[in-house]
Amino acid sequence: MALRVWASSAANALRLSSAPPFPLSRCFSTVLDGLKYATSHEWVKHEGSVATIGITEHAQDHLGEVVFVELPEPGGAVTQASGFGAVESVKATSDVNSPISGEIVEVNTKLTETPGLINSSPYENGWMIKVKPSNPSELESLMGPKEYTKFCEEEDAAH
Amino acid sequence: MRIPRKLEVWRMGTMNYLQALKLQEKLASDRKACKISDTLLALQHPPTYTLGKRRTDHNLLVSEDELKTMGAELHYTQRGGDITYHGPSQAILYPIISLRDIGLGARNYVEKLELTMINLASIYGVQARPGRKCQTGVWVGEGKIGAIGVRISSGITSHGLAFNINPDLNYFKHIVPCGIADKEVTSLKREAKSELPPEEVIEEQLISSFAQLFNYDNVEWKDNGSAL
Repeated sequence: MALRVWASSAANALRLSSAPPFPLSRCFSTVLDGLKYATSHEWVKHEGSVATIGITEHAQDHLGEVVFVELPEPGGAVTQASGFGAVESVKATSDVNSPISGEIVEVNTKLTETPGLINSSPYENGWMIKVKPSNPSELESLMGPKEYTKFCEEEDAAH
Repeated sequence: MRIPRKLEVWRMGTMNYLQALKLQEKLASDRKACKISDTLLALQHPPTYTLGKRRTDHNLLVSEDELKTMGAELHYTQRGGDITYHGPSQAILYPIISLRDIGLGARNYVEKLELTMINLASIYGVQARPGRKCQTGVWVGEGKIGAIGVRISSGITSHGLAFNINPDLNYFKHIVPCGIADKEVTSLKREAKSELPPEEVIEEQLISSFAQLFNYDNVEWKDNGSAL
């Protein structure tokens, strides 16, 4: 009995629950401020003349463990809402789309050796490409953090 | 009010791999443009080996010339997963559906594809299970009975699952199936204790299992002729 009380208060401290009514990930997907989001679950961080792009925490959670990442070469072009690469997880390859148009200036080569960075650090070490935006006004058509959070909740509720 | 969800099923019989691929590309493009509803292709292939996006051809144990001599084709694809064999008496489903409409990600989609095959196997008293970590697919003991390889582009699926009813399992000897070296391949024929009905019946049950798991309200069946 004492052990159970201890376990439950430990669980509370760690914010775990013993039997969640639905997957925790739906409630606790991280959405960061300061980023813009596409409906296809990519994020973009615009800093000065360069925009960094990756996939969101919600996306990596829904994908499962990423085992392979296909990235373009630097110097190539990306177009808003078009694919620039792909990730493979659980025997599924999923195309990744660019939230904005521009020229690719850098590609995260660490993802070749360590594709799991996308799962463990989707907003930091798991970034995919850096782009010089050709049309910065495209950023306005993207969602902010609150809008994207609501979008995810609605999409998950669909099934 | 929830909009009723419709699945259109196209039963294609035996279809060449490239033809099936072209058809999937057209359907996926139409589905993305919302010109068609969710569509499911049910078919079999003549002897065909396929590789996924990672092009793991080190898992092909014979040369392409030897494959040709056997009467088999080899194709490189954009799907996930490793090398596999498709052939007569293996039931294939290629769902071309919108995952965004049902709020599913890759992981949940693949889990449901696994369940589709597990539920079918249970009809014949065969206890199948999903793969353990990194072994996506459907297993009976240590034998793989069903394989999965999927592509998701703009939230629309293509490729899908392959379930071994009674294919010639010798064809699997020429590859390291799915890149997993020390495991066997098996079939419903091998695992079921009772006699199996005609394959069309099993294919229909597989399709129904899919439709049920994905909660379709209406299922429209089209045979080869009327579909094209």
